[in-house]
Amino acid sequence: MDQASIAIAIFLFTYALIMSERIHRAVAALLGASLLLMLKIVPWENVPDYLDLDTLLLLTGMMIIVNTAKKSGLFEYIAIKTAKMARGNPIRVLLLFSFVTALVSSFLDNVTTVLLLTPMLLYVTRLMELDPVPFLLAEIFASNIGGTATLIGDPPNIMIGSAAGLTFNDFLMNMAPIALVDLLLAFVFIYLFYRGELKVSSEKEEKLGSILNRMDEKGAIKDLRLFEKSVAVIMLVVVLFFVHDRLNIEPAVVAMFGASVLLVWSKESPEEVFEKIEWPALFFFGGLFIVVGGLVQTGVIEGIAEKLVDYVHTDAQALLLITWFSAFSSAIVDNIPLTATMIPLIKAMGAFFNNSPLWWALSLGACLGGNGTAIGASANVVVIGIAERERIKISFMDFLKVGMIIMVLTVGAGAAILWIRYMGV
Amino acid sequence: MSIFLTIINRKFKNIAGTRYERILRNYKEFFLTEEELSLPVIKSILMPVDRSTRNVPEEIYEVLSACEDAEVTVVYIMSEDACALIRQTLGEEASREFRQKEEEAGRELLERIARSLEDSGLKVRTRMFFGNKSEDVIRLSRERDLLVIPRLYGSEITKTRSISPVVMKIVHHVDIPVIVY
Repeated sequence: MDQASIAIAIFLFTYALIMSERIHRAVAALLGASLLLMLKIVPWENVPDYLDLDTLLLLTGMMIIVNTAKKSGLFEYIAIKTAKMARGNPIRVLLLFSFVTALVSSFLDNVTTVLLLTPMLLYVTRLMELDPVPFLLAEIFASNIGGTATLIGDPPNIMIGSAAGLTFNDFLMNMAPIALVDLLLAFVFIYLFYRGELKVSSEKEEKLGSILNRMDEKGAIKDLRLFEKSVAVIMLVVVLFFVHDRLNIEPAVVAMFGASVLLVWSKESPEEVFEKIEWPALFFFGGLFIVVGGLVQTGVIEGIAEKLVDYVHTDAQALLLITWFSAFSSAIVDNIPLTATMIPLIKAMGAFFNNSPLWWALSLGACLGGNGTAIGASANVVVIGIAERERIKISFMDFLKVGMIIMVLTVGAGAAILWIRYMGV
Repeated sequence: MSIFLTIINRKFKNIAGTRYERILRNYKEFFLTEEELSLPVIKSILMPVDRSTRNVPEEIYEVLSACEDAEVTVVYIMSEDACALIRQTLGEEASREFRQKEEEAGRELLERIARSLEDSGLKVRTRMFFGNKSEDVIRLSRERDLLVIPRLYGSEITKTRSISPVVMKIVHHVDIPVIVY
């Protein structure tokens, strides 16, 4: 058995373990990586080439900022404020929670966003005595769409940005308009699909408004000083992301700088903050980079790219292929391993095509493909998991019926925008 | 459990760990309880007063003013037993004098409180009669939504307790919400 076949076997074995969730995905990735290192398929001296430090440090920095800010009650404050602004009107609840979820998801990770907003959304729908499913689905779609908008919104974008050297503003220019159109499309679709279930009497709405008004968002702030410092640092980090290319600093440096400023300024215990970093996620990324590195090292990726060229002849075909392949694949497998695999492939395709639009096609497919099935993205799993804990049933088919349409609609609209932008009308 | 739910639960545990439970614990401080959620409909309020009631605190008027369209019955019950006791021990004249003074004090107090309640936008009815302070308040509260009672209502002149035994008895026997001030 040659090295390439072993690398493929280990890659498929790791993928299968990740999909089965029999063991933790981080452990599965680490097992695959260590097998490749043990068998010397990936030489030890090449490990730094495959470990994407930009991605790992950017994720670490943002985790520190989010975990520190979380202690101040910032996110509960946002959730309560959103609920109060909705004033018990179902359409406003749907619209505002979708918008806030998308906005927060575009700057923070989707899992944290939905974990923090879902309890409040469920509470409001319970008060309205309405079926929470349309609201939960809208939140999932908004989170995945919002994550598409920026470099830091979703892990695939961080990986793509790092691999292709794309800036925060590049993502804003290319992906944010698509995300905005898609958010609107998703909202209109959910409204039309569930419009019969989004009604409460005006009397009830008024009563709900007064009940929600009795919630004190300021009471959610556990530490006012930390709250103010967190908001200031998050704003500073966002501003730095906007100008990082002009200052010639990497996004990872911006995140690490923000994290260290917040730690110094807030005087929070570093042990406590570092303990809350999602180490399993970082090890998952690290392991995957090496597992995919095995395919690059043995020339498998290059071989696939050359084979693809036999069937794909133009940039436009490549754009459509990458978009739809990554969208449908991402609906089935985790978008992080998918992106990790696609990145070297697109790099290799750069020898034959203009790969600039292909990065956006990958971002579009990998981020929005997750909307297709209940297991397509982490936000889906978390919201459905919370729903299950609260005895709300969302079956695989329930999700699929709406999710697939949303996925095709949003990816289709995004692909059309990319086509117009890069291929002309 | 279906295969789908097993996968979701396994994935949820791997992705979120125990974070959801921690977040939910934080939220519980802000979510209103079942009791707080049900806004009681208050249409009629009973407000017994007597000589122990020097002033009704402003806060009571503020709270009651929130009950729009409610009618407040301010009632002054003169003790039948005290009147009988005076009649038996000091004679008919003393009893009449006691009755007269009680009625004057009651009328003045009822007018003052009624004015303040009307200023707060509430409909007011006043009643004054001889009876049993605890039994009559318990009886009248059966047809009301809220009882607002001074903590020293029906207390002896020496006022040895912070809440009078009459109030304690009333609170134990009524089924409606009570505000003791």
